[in-house]
Formats: sequence, structure tokens, C-alpha cells
Amino acid sequence: MNLSRLRWTVSSVAFAVLLFGAYLGLYFGDFLPTFSCRYADTRSGTCFMMTIQRTIQMLLGTIGGFARKDMMIFLKQLLYFSLLVMLIGRAWCGWICPLGFFQDVLYWIGRKLRIGYVRFSKTIRNRLVWIKWGFMFVALLIPLWVAFPVFFPHVALNLRMPFCQLCPGKYILPLLVGNPDRIAVNYESTTHLVMSLLGLSFSVLVVLGAVIKNRFWCRFCPLGLILSWFRKISFFKLMKDDEKCTRCEICYNICPMDIHEVFESRGRKDVTFPECHLCLKCIQNCPETDALKAVYLGMPIYRSSSKRFFKNSGTSTAGDFRALKKIGIGHEH
Amino acid sequence: MNQTNIADKQKNRFLKSIARRTTIELEKLRQIPESPPALNYFYDAMESVFVRNEPERFLNPDSTKKKMIGVYCMMVPEELIDAAGAVSVRLCAGCFESSQIGEDRIPKDVCPLVKSAMGFTIQKGLAAVDLCDVVIIPTTCDAKRKLGEELSAFKNVWMIEVPHIKDAEFSRRIWIDQLYGLKSKIEKYAGNGRAKTKTSSRYLGAAIKKTAVAQWELRQLLSIRQSKSPVIWGRQAVVVENAYAYTRTEDWAENLAQLNIQLAEKVKNNNAVCSENCPRIFIAGSPVIFPNTKIQSLVEEMGGILVADESCAGDRYLYDPIGNPENSLAGQMTGIASRYLAPCICPAFTPNDDRLFMIKRMVADFAADGVLYHVLKGCVIYDFELHRVEKILNRAKIPVLRIETDYNPEDVEQLRTRIEAFIEMLKSQKKKKRSDSLCQPIS
Repeated sequence: MNLSRLRWTVSSVAFAVLLFGAYLGLYFGDFLPTFSCRYADTRSGTCFMMTIQRTIQMLLGTIGGFARKDMMIFLKQLLYFSLLVMLIGRAWCGWICPLGFFQDVLYWIGRKLRIGYVRFSKTIRNRLVWIKWGFMFVALLIPLWVAFPVFFPHVALNLRMPFCQLCPGKYILPLLVGNPDRIAVNYESTTHLVMSLLGLSFSVLVVLGAVIKNRFWCRFCPLGLILSWFRKISFFKLMKDDEKCTRCEICYNICPMDIHEVFESRGRKDVTFPECHLCLKCIQNCPETDALKAVYLGMPIYRSSSKRFFKNSGTSTAGDFRALKKIGIGHEH
Repeated sequence: MNQTNIADKQKNRFLKSIARRTTIELEKLRQIPESPPALNYFYDAMESVFVRNEPERFLNPDSTKKKMIGVYCMMVPEELIDAAGAVSVRLCAGCFESSQIGEDRIPKDVCPLVKSAMGFTIQKGLAAVDLCDVVIIPTTCDAKRKLGEELSAFKNVWMIEVPHIKDAEFSRRIWIDQLYGLKSKIEKYAGNGRAKTKTSSRYLGAAIKKTAVAQWELRQLLSIRQSKSPVIWGRQAVVVENAYAYTRTEDWAENLAQLNIQLAEKVKNNNAVCSENCPRIFIAGSPVIFPNTKIQSLVEEMGGILVADESCAGDRYLYDPIGNPENSLAGQMTGIASRYLAPCICPAFTPNDDRLFMIKRMVADFAADGVLYHVLKGCVIYDFELHRVEKILNRAKIPVLRIETDYNPEDVEQLRTRIEAFIEMLKSQKKKKRSDSLCQPIS
């Protein structure tokens, strides 16, 4: 099977299972390293971002000290989360994430409408990196304030799950499973109003951005940031063979995350950079045989190939190719 | 009246001498026994350009009215020209006669390729050059840069600035900006000044695909040439690749596909052109361009076989493809910009470590026994990199011979002696290697 078809199949099945799994009675737990949003009623698992925020604001705020039982639950969830991330690394983002899938669909529509695409320059990209740290900050520090509302308590208490209130997933994904009430502006209090307005505008931005920029949200995602910390110990890696790379830039042009380091790098084998979603599009589009490889636990599972490249561009004049192959010449070089 | 007569005579003499040289070279090639018949197309294309002086027969066989645009260097995206409905001709020249004429106008110390290109423009007559009212010249090396200025006295010259530091973000930016500019210039020119001539993504996509077919066939030819027993002479393959400049892409690809089938047949029947003991030579350095066949003929007459080169008019001309672009114009332009800048290893770029990687890879892939480092007199930038190339090849224990020459046939005998000695050395080395491997103890 063609890799892009496989990716579409896997991610659409994952989308269906994660967001509609409750109909089948499925529930995987509160530790999923992917945007399986807790505000979607029919989900079959919950995003780990929610668990982090909830744990911080509950656990630390427990008056009377340390609640050992809750702590153990969280540690267990953290362990499961880590194991899941180690298993396939950021392929969670590239292959499974429901919000990622939604963005892929939007981008695909953009392609069909022949809308051009935007690429941020290196300087802008380097600046945008800080946004996800900002979200990370919101997700880790504001729950602390919620736990110990020493100043402006009435604001703090309305800031439960602060990242979730900003996250576009909270507005988009419930809408997709038929919970449109989430996209309403929340007038409960000023804090709620501000947060929901911010979140809604992020959502609109993400929907519009995804049409012209592949995976627009993913470069701001704090969960992706956490996942990227596991890349050294994850089982799933992207490898490059320096000797075979011509530095033709095709992998950079095709990369949804605009990773330029892969083609630029010389002298390193592991090219799983923090932003890498392991979507393997670069391997699929690499014209040099064996220059790029996907490796699982040290075993190559997918390699680049010159033959595949030209076949994808619809060029191998089939008849001639067959004649050559019959006598063992039409091999890739 | 008298003056025009003299000019006419001069022109005829010029064309005749080119035709004579080309005929001799082509005759030599045609007489190689057991050549695959598909090669004739490529020889005929060369003949139509240099002997019959009817380049349009191969460049634009439909004889529809299409404008011709001349290009120098491989950094000009010929897809843009094709998509706009014009015909591109690569005019980098390899002709001794014209290089002598070029000397009248530009310095003697400049490389013969540029002198030859100059000469063809000064001395009118060769239709392939005369039909191009517009030429596109990228600013690669110093000689090409100044050539553009000199040519502007005769033709409409469009210069494009090639950023020499490839890796930088600003390079990418100025490069793609210029390609957009070039695109609209080409559109305006090819469309006879009509207002609505925009190249749509559909046309550009078709042009990219067409080139990709040619590139696929070229890669097939290369993989055939990698086989242990050679089935095609290097000097034949060089003409095939050079001919891309003077033919229509789809015809070239179709005929190359035919050739590949015939060669594959030869591989199957074990019908090699020379024995496996023939030293396999890789030509690095300055481009060899028809009808200058000096180096490759010498190598093969002296008992070697040319397996590959890194020439920008040879194996490298078509090697790198444009990435499978999205069907938007922006995507295609980005792909084109990348293809014509990033993987190019012209020594005009700096730093140029990519070239070392490429040579190392090609020498290994084609199992070359020795490298002939070809420097055209005056082509300083290739000479500059000799030291680096030698260093990496020494590490791989591949001998290197530096040959400095131009298009003048005078020094052939002198070169013959040197190349002969080099090939003899490689032969004995190869024999020794074979016997060594035969004497290995059974483990």
C-alpha cells in the first residue's frame, strides 16, 4: 500500500476510534499522548494535558498535605504516558492525533482548491517556537495559582484547566462529534469570557491557517513539546545516510513542519528532530535510494527509493521499465 | 556588396569547418561495432545542429511557431521556458573553431567554453545560436558573468543572479524571487507581448513531468552503466546526454528508453563492449561538450572505459529531479527553485562540500578505478577544488590524473602519452588486485 494512503487510513481510523469510541464502550484512560479531547463526550480516552493540569491544581492544593493516593495515580498515568510515547514517538502527532487529522483534511481541501501555501521564514519560525513554551507555561503554572489562589482568588478559581480553555481542540473537536455547545462564548464571568474568546479566536485562526499551512497548529502545541523530549529514547526514528544524500531540499519542501535540518545535516545519522512528526513524507518523496530510512528498534521499516519517487511523479514509462526489470537491470541505483 | 561577399565567405568557411569536424567525430562514433541502433537518434540530432544546420528539426519537430530561448549553464529552469510555450536550447559550446573567433573579443585566458559561446555569437551562421534572440545567463563563474555582458552587444541577454552561498536563507529568497521574475519575462516574450500569457500550474506541471520522464530514463542509463561489464562506451553516452540540449525533451526520453531496452538486451546476452579488466574511468571537473570529444576518446582508445562523469552537460545535467510538487504554482516554483540551486555542485558555489560527497558516491557506485580530473584552461574554479577532491579520493585509494587542456586538437598526442601511462598503471593495479583476491586463503 502507498504510504500516504496508509497514513490517511490509520489517522482516519484513529480519529473515529478516539472521538467516537464511547459508542463501542471503549475507554483507554486519561493518559493519551494525543488530542483526544475531554470535552468531546463520545471520546475513548483523554488527552494527557488535561491530566497534568488537573493533577497540579488538585494535588498541590489538597489542604492537609500530600495526598499519596492521588500522587500514585498520577505517577501511574505518567508511566503509561511515557511508555506510549516511547513506543512510537511523535508518530502520535503525525499518524493518530484527531486534531492533526482535521488539519490534514483542511489542507487537502486547500490543495484541491489550488490555494497556494505559506512558508514561514527561518527567523519567524524560530520566534514562533516561543508560543508553545507560552502554552506550556499556562498549562503548568496557572494550575499552581489555582491550587494556591493567594491573589485574585475569584480570577484564579475561574481558571480551571487554563490550557484547555485556550486550546483550539476544545472548540473544534467537540463540534466534530456533535457537541456544538462548546463553541459558545462563556459569559459566566469576565475570566471565562476572556478565555473563551481567546480560545475561540485561536480555533478560527487554526481552521483558516490549516488551509494554507500544513499542520498550522502543531508548531504551537505544548503536548507535542512534551512528546519531543522523548525522541532520544523513543523506538521510532528517522535516519539519514550522508553518503547518499544530495541535499536536494525535497524533504524540506515536503515537510509539514518545515524541518530544514534533515537535508542540511552532515555527519549525523539520527535526524529525528524535535519537530518531526514521523509522518515519513520525506522518505516517500526522497529521490535517492536508501538516503532516508525509518527505523523501529534498530530495524529499518521503510526506505527511500528512486524508483518510488519517479513512480509517484507518474513517470516510469511502464513498458520499458518492465522490460528492464525482467532482466534484473531496472533496479534502483 | 563586396563586404557582404567577404562576410558570406567567412560564414561559409566557418560552417564548413565545424561541419567537417563534427562529421569526423560522428563518423568515428557511428563506426563503433555493435552499437545499439537507438544511438542514431542522438547522432542525428548532433548532425542536424552542426552539419545540416537545421536545429529545429529536432528541437521543434512539429514546426509550430515557437520562440527559441538560449540558455547557458544548468541552473536555468528549462521547465519555465517549456511551460510558457517556448523552446529552450542549451548553448554552452564545445567547438574549437568558434573558440578561436571568440578570442578576438574576450581574453585569451578565459575558458574555451565561454570563448566558444562568444565565437558562435560573433560569427553568425549556426542556426541553433542565431535563432535565439534571447539568451538567459546565470551568474555562475566569472567568465559566464562577463560573457553575459559581452553577449548583450549582439543579443537580448537576461542575467539571473545565482547566490553563491547555497545554504543561507537569503539565497533561497533571492533565488526564488528571480525565478518568478524570469517566469513573467519568459511569458511575456513567448506570448508575443499579449497580455494574458500567464503560465498556469497545469502547464508547469506537465513540463515538470516531462522532464521527470527524461530524468527517470537517464537514471536507468546510469544504472546500466554501473553494471560490471560495460555495454556502452562512455563517449557514446556523453553524446546522448549532450544531445538533450538540442532535442525536444519527450523525444529524447523516448529514444533513450529505446536505447535502454537495447542495452539491457546486451547485458542479458553478456554482450560487453570491453572486458571486465578494462580500467573504469570517472571524469571529474570541467564539462565535456560535443564536438569536443578529446578526453573521452583518448581514454577509450587507450584501453579504458569512461563509466561516468560529473559534468553539468553530462551525467549531472538531468540527474536531480524536481520534488513531487503540490499542484499549486507556489509549490511548483518552490520545487523548481530548490532543484536548480540546492543539489547543484558547480564549483561556483562555496562552500561546496556537496561536490566531494557526490564524487565519492559516484566513484563508489560506478566502481571507478581511476579519476581523470579534467580542467579546461582558464576554468579556475574546478582547478581550485582539485586538492580537496584528490584528498578524499586518496583516502579511497583511487588514483587521480589532472589533465589541463582546451579545445585545440594540437595537444592530443601529448595527452595520449599521459593518459596511456595512467591507464597502464590502473591496469596493472587492477590485475594485482584481482590476483590478490584470488590468492586469499579460504576462511
